[in-house]
Amino acid sequence: MSVESVLASIQGSALAEWMRNTSPAMPIVEATHVLAAVMVFGTVLIADLRLLGLADSTRPFSRVGRETLRLTWLAFGVSVITGSLMFTTSAQTYFANTAFQFKALALLGAGLNMTVFQLVTARALPAWDASGPPPRAARAAGLISLLLWAAVVLLGRWIGFTKGYDFTIPPGVDLTVPG
Amino acid sequence: MRAFAEWLSATAPSVAIQSTFWFIRLLQATHLLTAGVVAGAAAMILLRALGWQRNDESFDAVWRRFSPWLTSSLAVMVATGIAQTLGDPVREFTSFSYWLKLVVLLLCVTGTALLARKAGRVAPGARLSVAARLLAIALLLAWLALPLLGRMIAYDRAIWGGLSMRT
Repeated sequence: MSVESVLASIQGSALAEWMRNTSPAMPIVEATHVLAAVMVFGTVLIADLRLLGLADSTRPFSRVGRETLRLTWLAFGVSVITGSLMFTTSAQTYFANTAFQFKALALLGAGLNMTVFQLVTARALPAWDASGPPPRAARAAGLISLLLWAAVVLLGRWIGFTKGYDFTIPPGVDLTVPG
Repeated sequence: MRAFAEWLSATAPSVAIQSTFWFIRLLQATHLLTAGVVAGAAAMILLRALGWQRNDESFDAVWRRFSPWLTSSLAVMVATGIAQTLGDPVREFTSFSYWLKLVVLLLCVTGTALLARKAGRVAPGARLSVAARLLAIALLLAWLALPLLGRMIAYDRAIWGGLSMRT
């Protein structure tokens, strides 16, 4: 089964058809996706600034992370669901879009960064968790995370500028100017 | 309103923004990221008011930690929003989502300031009154509605039907 046939079957699915033709499904899903994406960035920023030693420095990182990352995961879950729904509407165009490809890479990078932090860097957490500046590896993880999640949000917006649509835009919907 | 928007779109600052492709993109990107900072900071303050986050800290401590982020990112968000409005006034002024967003923003700012004053008077560790907690829930939903309404501007007529002034 080729990638093209998988994309074609996603795009031809009943769910995709429903998303394209049910007003106002697409606007509500897309607006919810934007809300979820900015919430991911806004909450991950709190944990990243703690890792960078720039905020909450008297509060253990383990506590800051536990509190804020629950919200991050919730928002991330919503953004994955809504993003997948949007993807079905024009899967082939999304897949071929450069901004979408870079966004996927940025998401992968953010996931890898988090995994490396949890498996390697966080081993030394007890030494600096409650006090003391975070080590260089932790600060690097915070900076990389911050940059990658900002890139995810911005590339997501860029998809809207560059992708085009595989279906007729309904009357009253203004997707072209200025974004 | 439309006539005013059309007049505004022909003014020099509006034409300058419209004709600078990268500037519009930069404004939108900044607006979007600051919306995230605003939503994150507001959520932390209001979740603390509800007793669902950072209960080991006083409300005042959480307010001191997050209110500078809330106000400064809000200032950038408003500035980039004004510039975007200036860059495409007809699109914004004919949108119901746009006007609703402005009203919700005003309610968010005044309501959060009011709640902060109330919560600041409560002894550390004590719960806020039911009315204050209900206000916190309403404000949390209102702050989260801002990015939602911002994106809905593009789909105004499809969402709001006759309430939209778009043709």
